[in-house]
Amino acid sequence: MLTPFLALLLVPAPAMGAFLLLGLGPAELNRRAVQTVALVGAVLPAVVMLPLGAYCLMGTCDGIQPIFDLTVGDAVVALALKLDPLSAIVGVTVTLIGACVIGYSIDYMAKAEVPDLRRYFALMNLFLASMLCMVLAGDSIVLFLGWELMGLCSFFLIAYHVTSSRAIAAGRKAFVITRVADAFLLAALLLLFLEAGNVRLDALIPAGIAADELRQGLIAALILAGALGKSAQLPFHTWLPSAMAGPTPVSALLHSATMVAAGAFLLARFAPLMQAVPLVMALTAVLGAATALFGAASAVFQKDVKRLLAYSSISQIGFMLLALGLGEPEVAIAHFVVHAIFKSLLFLSAGDITQIARGTTDISAMRGALWSRPLAFVAFAAGAASLAGIPLVTAGWFSKEAILAAAWLAGPFGVVLWLVAMTAAVLTATYAFRPVFTGLTRIGRPRPSLGGIFTNLPIALLAVATFAVAPLVEPIMEFLGGAAPHPPHAVELVGAAAPFLGIALAAALTFVPGLSLRVARARRMRSGIRIDGIYQVIIVQPFVKMVRWLTGQRGGIADPVGSIPVLVAQRLTAAAIRPLAHDPLDRGWMGLGAGMVRAWGAGRRIQSGRVRDYALALALGLALLLLIAWGTTWR
Amino acid sequence: MALTALIVLPLLGGIAALFLQRFGRDAERWFSIAVLAAALVALVVAWVGAPPEDAPGPQWLAMVRYQYAPALGLQFLLAMDGLSAALVAVSLALGIVSVIISWNIRKDSGLFHACLLWTVAASNGVFLAMDLLFFAFFWELMLVPSFLLISIWGHGDREAVALKFLVFNAVAGLGLLAAVFWMAATAPEITFDAFVFAEMGIPPVAQVWLLLGFSLAFLTKLPAPPLHAWLPDAHTMAPTAGSILLAGLLLKTGAYGLFRFPGMLFPDGFHVLAPYGLALGAFGTIYGAVLACGQTDAKRLVAYTSIAHMSIVLMGLAGGVHFAMMGAGVEMIAHAFSASALFLLIGALYDRTGTRDLRELGGLQQTAPRFAAAFAVFFSAALAMPGTANFLGEALVITGMFQVNWVLAAVALVSLVVSVVYATRLLKRIVFGAPIRACVVQDLTWSELGPIVVLATGTLLFGLLPQLLLVVLEPAVDAALAPLARP
Repeated sequence: MLTPFLALLLVPAPAMGAFLLLGLGPAELNRRAVQTVALVGAVLPAVVMLPLGAYCLMGTCDGIQPIFDLTVGDAVVALALKLDPLSAIVGVTVTLIGACVIGYSIDYMAKAEVPDLRRYFALMNLFLASMLCMVLAGDSIVLFLGWELMGLCSFFLIAYHVTSSRAIAAGRKAFVITRVADAFLLAALLLLFLEAGNVRLDALIPAGIAADELRQGLIAALILAGALGKSAQLPFHTWLPSAMAGPTPVSALLHSATMVAAGAFLLARFAPLMQAVPLVMALTAVLGAATALFGAASAVFQKDVKRLLAYSSISQIGFMLLALGLGEPEVAIAHFVVHAIFKSLLFLSAGDITQIARGTTDISAMRGALWSRPLAFVAFAAGAASLAGIPLVTAGWFSKEAILAAAWLAGPFGVVLWLVAMTAAVLTATYAFRPVFTGLTRIGRPRPSLGGIFTNLPIALLAVATFAVAPLVEPIMEFLGGAAPHPPHAVELVGAAAPFLGIALAAALTFVPGLSLRVARARRMRSGIRIDGIYQVIIVQPFVKMVRWLTGQRGGIADPVGSIPVLVAQRLTAAAIRPLAHDPLDRGWMGLGAGMVRAWGAGRRIQSGRVRDYALALALGLALLLLIAWGTTWR
Repeated sequence: MALTALIVLPLLGGIAALFLQRFGRDAERWFSIAVLAAALVALVVAWVGAPPEDAPGPQWLAMVRYQYAPALGLQFLLAMDGLSAALVAVSLALGIVSVIISWNIRKDSGLFHACLLWTVAASNGVFLAMDLLFFAFFWELMLVPSFLLISIWGHGDREAVALKFLVFNAVAGLGLLAAVFWMAATAPEITFDAFVFAEMGIPPVAQVWLLLGFSLAFLTKLPAPPLHAWLPDAHTMAPTAGSILLAGLLLKTGAYGLFRFPGMLFPDGFHVLAPYGLALGAFGTIYGAVLACGQTDAKRLVAYTSIAHMSIVLMGLAGGVHFAMMGAGVEMIAHAFSASALFLLIGALYDRTGTRDLRELGGLQQTAPRFAAAFAVFFSAALAMPGTANFLGEALVITGMFQVNWVLAAVALVSLVVSVVYATRLLKRIVFGAPIRACVVQDLTWSELGPIVVLATGTLLFGLLPQLLLVVLEPAVDAALAPLARP
């Protein structure tokens, strides 16, 4: 049947096609061909998705496009893609950001060797396709397929610099931690499947709500754990700062704007189910607020721009989780959209500035950026303004304000969360403006320069978007079926004042020498209060020790369960065989022979050659015979 | 007839291959491929042919019954259902792959190919025979060519390892043999027909002991800890083709036996012993995965992952629920593809560099991109990425485990996490890093790429279009579970 929803299948298809072409295509593809394929594969999804989004806006926004059906026993596994306001909004965001970042990569990765470039673009396109699969999924199988493939792409892209052991270690760390979360999600999805006997999301969520209390709570908690891991929230956050070892566009697309925020999307997708379990909702809100504050506080102390932005992503997604936990998924998704725009903008412009500064990503590389790289710096400042939430003009203000308002309106428990989030908001402005102020300081006599069109066009588009989206934030919430919460004016005013307080703090930290030194020395805060170290001690090292012990590298027996039975069997067999080694039967015959010889030695003495001996023997024999004869007849 | 050809063709082909060596260069290789291809045709003929009239159930696709020695109650009885058909197809395909990737073996090439064909013939016999004496015969027959493959063409301490393999499996096979003879002796009139045994109503206590005897043989072949000690050695020292046949066929015969017989012959015994099977599987999947993390020999690493994955299969088979059983069936096929492919790749690397030590390898990404890409694909399969058949199998088993016991499901999920650790370790040491020493290697040649593409296609095809496999397995699973349903 031909419906407009058939176009859903076409959204991930070009990116997937580009991946296949780059991965399996002829070896002769030159640099230009690789770039063209990648760009076409990245832009076409946006071209398809935008009309779908428009179609959605016009009112028909609930459609399913079946892919194919499977039957396993009694269960029906019906794979499908789904278009609803949530997937439309997130889909449009992801396709646009994806196109921008992959376009930007053409200039950024210009120096890479062609095979490396090919691998890079193939993985970026595969990532885009899998993210879109996850976003548009109408069933849990496609959702999980996209979810896991994102993790795979993330691993390979973090480890893009294959000769850097730091990058490989970061990739493994990211993969293992997100895989733990994925196992939670898989468990949740399988439990839901068993409840519903179906994999369609439309059937899973009601089935989850209808389940008994224990199962319902368990499923919701498992989904939350899955989201926390993928979104680098406390206590799983440690992988994200390390993941910055990948190229900057990778960090922009995967590790800030889209993949990392997928946890928020997941929770929004399952919002009706999550809302049925108040305890898990409260946990979501508390963890979200805690992560928001933790991430912001850690970001203030970072020396590296990319790590700063990584902690910023952790913190911002914490805000999204706070909104989700408060039962406002619409607000969270609006913040998802806004965050995706300004965070990719920040990464791309920072990447451009720091690349000019010979590849170091230290904050000091930003110095003098206003003069040496004006366009990128202005764009960075625009992104930072949105991140800080400068009132009225930036999109960031509208979405963050809505989250704070939701917290304020959630009763006494909410006011505590509001306080935490407000502190985080102040710190957000602080860390956002530290690199900006660093960029203002002038060094030497710099000559302004501009990058190529592929650098500047995405940056410019995103910079414009951070402001252009501002009036759209509330319509997005309404389109998703919610409404922007409005607290009392006084509370809104406090929220509006917060960024300026933060900016003042940032200025102090940058320009007051004593303070900036103290920030530079705060190593514990920089390492994210050393949670990484705790994991090393309680999980990684014991595991390594166990592995080394079991493989016999610490003096034990290698593979004890397998080899001990073998050793025991060998001992027992040896003990049984040793007595038999000289063949006891053979020994018996030999013994008989020896006995005969000995008997002969004894017997020969009788034949002494003396007549008296013989006479004696004769007499004795005769006597014996007589005795026998007498004995027999006597009876 | 076609079923008989599946066994007889490679058996006689092997004898012919012994002598073909002198009829020109590579004659025995092309001949072996031709024989296996002909067997594939026979499989298709048997598969699409009309279902047999005298079959005891609707799941049987083809059957052959021939009175072999009526006085002893011995019949040549072959029957094929969906699972047997799939496994036979895999064994023939892997046979062809083994011939292709052994093209540079020169030492006693005739005997080598004979051994390959005999291994395929014997394992086909195991997959098809329903007369238990023939089953036991093929079961033991399988050991001989594999023993020769390891002890003649193997690496390192090959003779001792081959002996270890033989002793383990021959001793364990005694359990099977003893159980079969006991059943034949207690039958109303002497027979070895499994269908008769299934109807016979063996007393429950006897069932437990008989199933223990069967399981001893099957679990050793699977292998489940603590009976696994032969596998890492045998895998490591075997030539590449031997490793492929070990992983793809021999291990699967153990799983096949556990799939086919416990439910059919010993339903009461199954209920008694299944919890121990589940526990063994749960232990094995973690134990194998953890040990895989610490290996320095690439082949040994893959061997331990085989233990982990086959333990998942064991969990699925002992679960006794539909999803888990389906998952076990899928995982058997999926593991045959993915493990064989990894052995093939590591073997190809060994041919080039002369080492399998992970500490001495590295940098394939830069020196041999096709090699690296192939590793990446089967890396994904090893850690059960969705889209590969391995994921389908493990997800189904875990689903079933949720129905049986949540703790078991949690254990299987933990093993899924540990799989990332060893898989990324393999990739890190072989593909990533700077090229060290002799690792500036020639990329995959077309004769290596061909089999790789076939195996990758199988992995991804059944992962993305699982219905192809599920339809085939479903009747077999239903039939295997039917006797287990408690009244």
